[in-house]
Amino acid sequence: MSQPTSIAFESKSTFLQRHSSWMIQTAAIIAPFILFGIFLTFYEVNPIELYSSMVATTFGDLYGFGEVLLKATPFILTGLAAALPAKAGLVNVGGEGQLAIGALFATWFAIFYLDQMPALIGIPIMLLAGALGGAAWASVVAVLKVKGKLNETITSVLLNYVAVFIVGFFVHGMLKDPNSFNWPFSPEISYSLRLPVINGTRLHIGFVIAIVLAVAVWFILSKTRLGYRIRVLGSNRLAAERAGMNINRMYFWVLLAAGAIAGIAGMIEIAGIEGRLRATVGTNFGYLGFLAAMMAWNNPLRLMATAFLLGMISVAGNKLEIFSGLPSSSVNILMALVLFFILGSGKLVKR
Amino acid sequence: MEKHDERYLLKTKGLTKVFGPLVANSEIDLVVKPGSIHAILGENGAGKSTLMKMLYGVYAPDGGSIMMDGEEVELHPPTKARAKGIGMVFQDFRVVPALTILDNIALSVEKGFTFNRKKLKQRIIEISSKYGLAVNPDAYVWELDLGQRQRLEIVKVLLAENTRIIIFDEPTSVLVPQEVEAFLNMLRMLRADGYGILLITHKINEVLACADQVSVLRSGVLTYTASKEDGLTADQLIGAMMGDKELKTVEKQSGIQTSSELALVIKDGMIKGDYGEVIIQDLNLQVRKGQIVGVAGISGSGQKELAEVLFGLRGLLKGSIEVAGKPLKPDVRAFLEAGVSFVSEDPIKESVIPGFSILQHMVLDGMELKKKGLGIDWKALAQELEQSEQAQALALAASSRRADTLSGGNVQRMVLTRALIRKPEVLIISYPSRGLDIGTTRTIQQHLLELAKQGTAIVLFSEDLDELFKLSDQLVVLAGKRLTSPYETASTNAAQIGQLMLKGESA
Amino acid sequence: MIADILTGAIRSGTSVMLASQGELVSERAGVINLGTEGSMLCGALGGFAVTVWSGNPWLGTVAGGLCGLLISLIHAFLVISCGANQLATGLTIMFFGMGVTAFFGKGFVSQQIVGFNPVPIPLLSDIPYLGKILFNHDPLTYLSMLLVPMLWYLIFRTRLGIILRAAGEREEVLFASGINPRLVRYLAVLAGGFLAGIGGAQLSIAYTHSWVENMVAGRGVVAVALVIFASWKPVQAMLGAYLFGAAQALQLTVQQQGLAISPYFLFMVPYVLTLVALLIVERRKQSQTPEALGKVLAGSG
Repeated sequence: MSQPTSIAFESKSTFLQRHSSWMIQTAAIIAPFILFGIFLTFYEVNPIELYSSMVATTFGDLYGFGEVLLKATPFILTGLAAALPAKAGLVNVGGEGQLAIGALFATWFAIFYLDQMPALIGIPIMLLAGALGGAAWASVVAVLKVKGKLNETITSVLLNYVAVFIVGFFVHGMLKDPNSFNWPFSPEISYSLRLPVINGTRLHIGFVIAIVLAVAVWFILSKTRLGYRIRVLGSNRLAAERAGMNINRMYFWVLLAAGAIAGIAGMIEIAGIEGRLRATVGTNFGYLGFLAAMMAWNNPLRLMATAFLLGMISVAGNKLEIFSGLPSSSVNILMALVLFFILGSGKLVKR
Repeated sequence: MEKHDERYLLKTKGLTKVFGPLVANSEIDLVVKPGSIHAILGENGAGKSTLMKMLYGVYAPDGGSIMMDGEEVELHPPTKARAKGIGMVFQDFRVVPALTILDNIALSVEKGFTFNRKKLKQRIIEISSKYGLAVNPDAYVWELDLGQRQRLEIVKVLLAENTRIIIFDEPTSVLVPQEVEAFLNMLRMLRADGYGILLITHKINEVLACADQVSVLRSGVLTYTASKEDGLTADQLIGAMMGDKELKTVEKQSGIQTSSELALVIKDGMIKGDYGEVIIQDLNLQVRKGQIVGVAGISGSGQKELAEVLFGLRGLLKGSIEVAGKPLKPDVRAFLEAGVSFVSEDPIKESVIPGFSILQHMVLDGMELKKKGLGIDWKALAQELEQSEQAQALALAASSRRADTLSGGNVQRMVLTRALIRKPEVLIISYPSRGLDIGTTRTIQQHLLELAKQGTAIVLFSEDLDELFKLSDQLVVLAGKRLTSPYETASTNAAQIGQLMLKGESA
Repeated sequence: MIADILTGAIRSGTSVMLASQGELVSERAGVINLGTEGSMLCGALGGFAVTVWSGNPWLGTVAGGLCGLLISLIHAFLVISCGANQLATGLTIMFFGMGVTAFFGKGFVSQQIVGFNPVPIPLLSDIPYLGKILFNHDPLTYLSMLLVPMLWYLIFRTRLGIILRAAGEREEVLFASGINPRLVRYLAVLAGGFLAGIGGAQLSIAYTHSWVENMVAGRGVVAVALVIFASWKPVQAMLGAYLFGAAQALQLTVQQQGLAISPYFLFMVPYVLTLVALLIVERRKQSQTPEALGKVLAGSG
């Protein structure tokens, strides 16, 4: 995708440049870890120990590996929700809210309609409900974009806040668990609706769903006529317009598809991990997915790798909190640093 | 040999500029005298702009020296050139459309963070009345036509402190014939006031009309220098410009009957611009099958907007547009299906898709898409493209090349190939020869005539009157927010069209 | 009750207003900075922390401004020097601000300060009705009100303002005038970050007198949206910010009156209102968008 070609010297962009761009990309991944390591030493944490234990827990046993994949699952999905629109030239940061509303829809269906359903019917319906919720929330951004000509980045961020309040409204009201002693969360969903788990880990089938969706999005984007049109639109809107494409319709459906994928992430959070809806469901998952997509240059296949890396960092964040008393939010700093370097090196790599 | 006591403002010796493998200027010796007009003559791409940009400090020379006031000077960057009293009036004006004339002038003329608005306004009015450069200081630049913008640029240069040398880059290209005379008069006034003037142009009659010295550039080399006293003749100058190149000419066969079938009709249309202002009103246009209608006009008279309407990119506010008898809504899809093709005036911006190969550009509004499963059969398309007569005739670059690495001329070849390969019913084409060498220009013009012969209706936008007269069956002129009724090319002439460009048709 | 809401509009709108004035400067130079949210967060924490340590809210305010400026420096560097996507970079800054302030702010969560408190202006505050709404505020609010006409004059009447606007429209023209547009943009973004930082500090030092994790809660994003709503004009941006503040004040008033409306609906109102305001403005033809910014918003920046 980001194969380097220099403008000035057209034909001879080959080995050396590809090589150096690869090196820049690698350096951009490593540098923030070094910087964060220096930061950690001020707080009397040995970064080398932390990083090596990060690798050790990830690859040491099945459970640890499963934990990282588990963390990576929502990042892959919310990452796709950013990457797919990005290919069409849109900056969708609404994954956060779309995930939340997807979780809301999924929980609603699970509690009110699917309580007695067998897994084989109930889980797919719940999945569709999640997708529907995400798509519905994304449709607000899409309509504002297409009909109101409002920039989707700003509206999608604003709507993230609104989405969290909507979930808050429901878990304090109609969806509140009557037996919760006034805690704001929903009742637990039926056990049969919980996603099946791989033995010896907490890893559930949601991971497979994420992988399948990532591959599907990659295939559509790079191999089909639809994907070709989406890429034309994303690379030069004026050219797409002049080729007679209905740009607004494409924007609309791409945003809806992205919302549906993020909504599925919300459903998976409920059915795979939480079992009930809280106002804090998936906090920051949307933003982290966006970061994962940026790191992967919006390539769905690479996204799986970057989501995995973010999963490793998240797991490390929990350990950091347990062992050294630093808040787990410290790793957000590391993630932001990683992205700063990616963003900063973008121009060096891209052309 | 040179006389050393001769008065001069600026003198260059062996000035050289190299871009990669291309030597843009080689060993240029030039003298600019006070109170004189020095014309730099040459074809497109001869290196005139490079030379001027070195004198204005945009480029640093790779070799040679520049002398002013008896000492060697460095002019790069332009702030240094300006401090030495050199001003330049660019072809693409260096102005901010969203600001007023006053703000634009304050930006370049004043120093510091605040300024006296009243005083500056006064100075603007003074200098503009002195040289007949009518401008309204409070007008926004986006409201101005190109002639007015040029006047703003000139006022800007004149208001700058200690300007001694003024470089004009193809100044008359934005003017109609009738404005040109006033412009040349202003040059003579500046000369009388002692300014040294460098006039870049490729128009020989302007040179003969006002220049005191002429230097001719060809392929980056100064081939000819003379002054008025030596006696300048057109033949000499043409010879120096063209060298011994010979070019086949485009022949328009006269007497071909265009069909009576209407391909494209606009009735009583009105077009509004991006700022909500009226661009064209009472718009009527008819193009028959096999007919080429040329649209003349000073650039910025609404060509872009009209072209967009003709392709469904922009809607008509009033009136209707019909293609082959069918009324169409402003929807590009519908126009494409009706057989309309479009070559825009800025293909690099509007057509080139970064990261995509030439081949990948071809299926957008060009070659028929070949399906293969859910995907596209690129291999078959590549073969078809390579064998197509249009691609060969236009010497299209290899189909696997990335379009964003192509030069402007090659991009033009690409979009033209794409438009021609479709054999459109109607072709809307803007500035087909912009950025191309003469040889390719001729090829393209030949192709357009060929296409018309096969029945395509063509609307041709061009700023080159020669081209318009060479190709068009009828000419229409955009001026004063109106499109004139058609004039048969055979029974009109450049003077009449120029008059219309300036004033429009009196109602 | 209406007077209460209007007073509250100014009181809770001031932080957004300061941030939006800063963002306006930045956007006039062609840089949109969603990191305003991060700048506000850092300003809120930095300002609060310095006030805790020094006991002096003025020192805290300056510190808050500097924190906001430092964060915006990252944005400026990545966007202007590295050519990174403005929207994506801004979001990362926002995320970074959330992480950094959550990390360093943990120890400040239960701290208390005196900070700034409303100082009624003698005589003026006695004007019936209006006096209470306009002239009974903390010192930062008064300063922010003075800032608006000053910015207007700066942008539309001085050469500095012309330079700023030219940077957001046609950088090649600035180049031709011997001014480095990148430098102008840097300074504009830093000024924006500084004001956003002060806005954040106003929130923690003068409005809530406390630090709570993620307390800015989208005000920075709203500030960015308001600038577009205001067509890049300072006075309109101020009115938009007070509108946002009024929606928040309404929330408090409704709660005090004990009306049976879910607080979660009221929480949404300011954000939804901002969206509606944007929508209304976009309906009328937009031609005032600075050219460089238009490219970013259209997705090609």
